[in-house]
Amino acid sequence: MVKKWFSGFIGLVLLSLVLTACSGGSERSGGESDVEIPEGATEVVMWNLFAGGDAEYMQNIVDAFNESQSEYFVNNIMQENAEYYTKLLTSIGAGKGPDVAIAHTHVLPELVSQGLVQDLDTIGEDVGVKWDEFNQNILDATIYEDKHYAVPMDTHAQIMYINNKLVADADLLNDDGTIKMEKTPEGYVEFYQTLKDILPEDKIPFAFASSGSDPYWTWWTFYSQMGGRGILTEDSLENPKYDLDVDKAIKAASFVNSLYHENEIIPLNISDFYSEFQSENAATMNTGVWATGTWESTEGLEFTPMPIPTIFGENAAWGSSHTFVLPYSQKADEVAQKGAVEFMNFAADHGAMWAEAGHIPAKTTVVESEEYQELPYRSEYAEVANYVNFVDRNIYARGLEEIVVRHLDTIWAGEATPEEAFAAMETEVKDLIGE
Amino acid sequence: MNKKLWAHDFKAIPFLLPFFVAYVIFTILPIFKGLEMSLYDWTLVRKLDFVGLANYKEMFIDPHFWRTLWNTTLFVILTTPTMVLLALGLALLANMNTKLQTFFRGSFFLPSILSVAVISFLAIFMLQPYSGLINTVLHTIGIEAEPFWMADKTLAWVSIVVVTLWWTVGFNMVLFLAGLQDIPESLYEASEIDGATRWKQFRHITLPQLMPIGRVVLLLQILGSYKVFAQILLITGGGPGGATRPLIQYIYEVGFTQNNLGYAATMSYALFFILLILSIIQLRNQRMGES
Repeated sequence: MVKKWFSGFIGLVLLSLVLTACSGGSERSGGESDVEIPEGATEVVMWNLFAGGDAEYMQNIVDAFNESQSEYFVNNIMQENAEYYTKLLTSIGAGKGPDVAIAHTHVLPELVSQGLVQDLDTIGEDVGVKWDEFNQNILDATIYEDKHYAVPMDTHAQIMYINNKLVADADLLNDDGTIKMEKTPEGYVEFYQTLKDILPEDKIPFAFASSGSDPYWTWWTFYSQMGGRGILTEDSLENPKYDLDVDKAIKAASFVNSLYHENEIIPLNISDFYSEFQSENAATMNTGVWATGTWESTEGLEFTPMPIPTIFGENAAWGSSHTFVLPYSQKADEVAQKGAVEFMNFAADHGAMWAEAGHIPAKTTVVESEEYQELPYRSEYAEVANYVNFVDRNIYARGLEEIVVRHLDTIWAGEATPEEAFAAMETEVKDLIGE
Repeated sequence: MNKKLWAHDFKAIPFLLPFFVAYVIFTILPIFKGLEMSLYDWTLVRKLDFVGLANYKEMFIDPHFWRTLWNTTLFVILTTPTMVLLALGLALLANMNTKLQTFFRGSFFLPSILSVAVISFLAIFMLQPYSGLINTVLHTIGIEAEPFWMADKTLAWVSIVVVTLWWTVGFNMVLFLAGLQDIPESLYEASEIDGATRWKQFRHITLPQLMPIGRVVLLLQILGSYKVFAQILLITGGGPGGATRPLIQYIYEVGFTQNNLGYAATMSYALFFILLILSIIQLRNQRMGES
């Protein structure tokens, strides 16, 4: 009896080992896939880091490109977002990278300085990339030593979304659909206080995360509105110096913090603030433009996207940009590389397809096009692209972000005052950059 | 050497060789590669300069190394004794001759077969404020408080420890259960004839007989707890503000987001030595216990 029982248990243990082993094995590995390449076409392997709606819109662009010509076939391979850059950096380093890859602008310096991406000037000219059609603010973030290193696809900034019905209930909506808010810090708080006072108790004035990237982005927006430019100097990719405007940083952080604690406008530690907004439980939220596509497809949700109000003087917002890069390879297939840049150019020209997700296209010509202007909501925040303050350009961007977010989190969690958090952050950042 | 024995051993070589080769390639070589990395300035992409012991020197003065090492040690201190006692208690319960035996065994062991992603998701589902299961139950019974299980420093530790215990206790329970079933029935029969009470039987037969397996459980638990990473990353992300960040998360961040594999390898070696020393102490104790 005992033996029989025990062998059953061993079976269960083995089963658990098998299940654990399986759980890691479903990821598609780079380069290989079961996609059939049409005869005569050159395969162009692309890696992307998108998930959810974004992934679908990117696939649509790839399909459109593949159908538009027969010379190349872009094989779009989705990679796990969390591991994307580790995998990209190591694969290119080992000579096994894709032909074309997606990279955020803040990771470009790391790729450029390590020689992992190729400049696009010569090949871009061959293909006919028109650099002057891009938004200058985005394009500048992709140029190093006067060379173009990426074809920008979009700007994705953090913006504000309002629930039209709830804001109207609080009598804070003008006839033209804009909000009744005095563009000062006091006016901003007052707007939310009114929402809080008038709306039923179970409605949230401002649904937001209490930790992580989201509050960091809002802090960055207000810090930039005060005239703060960055955390490090931009004179050198490899050797930047610590350059945070501490007074402004503290002022911006104290302001964000007051929304959680002092004014109690943002309920603490909401587990999923997206679903609060989606289920019409929240009057407003801040997030990236990418949510527009999702809100549009939510039945009954009447919303308006708008730039985060300028309450500290200068127009500014946190934002990043997705770009296409050409990974460096010692034995590069020139045909595939040309195909890669052809595709980049095609995708940039078809930015309106990408804008369906909510992103602001990188090409000014696309933003001005009828196709884009006809998309609802987008034109209401497209101007943000002109004044987005991209995060610092240097090789430490990924590590820097992790440190900054962690220290800001101590403020929102009430573990440290802004003064303490920025002092601790300074030590750690200086350590990171070897200053 | 005895010729017959040699021939006997020789026959085993072809069977052992495949595993041995895999073991060398995937375990032994990386160990030396890691040691080499720790002596270099090494990024995700390439080996840069030889820096000797500079990474080790840096480690000794790095407050984050010490803080995350302390966090990990705190986790070990919080989980090890509770885990051993809990596993023992559950094993005794699951070994009782009742109709519920199979139920106990199955339900205690079941969480162990789930992956870390699943248990972390379940934990978040239960612990989240406003709508989580635990807070909803608290509200239902009239407690108005809204504890932030994953965002308050102390509560975050409590949550991680409880989740880990629930997730992994089953495996240790099985080890104890195997130990319990190895105790000869005759010892209990003899003691019964001598008039021993249940408590005396437990103290003088069960416990001493379980000592060897208990030591194994203790050692595995300490080693396992020192390697804690995934459930913390998934449940609190090391937060609030790094308060629950374990050493392996710091190693991971230094290696993969700060692009400094050399220093990450150095800290991995520090952890390796801590585990090695703990294992040696433990094995010594075991030998002394046995002699």
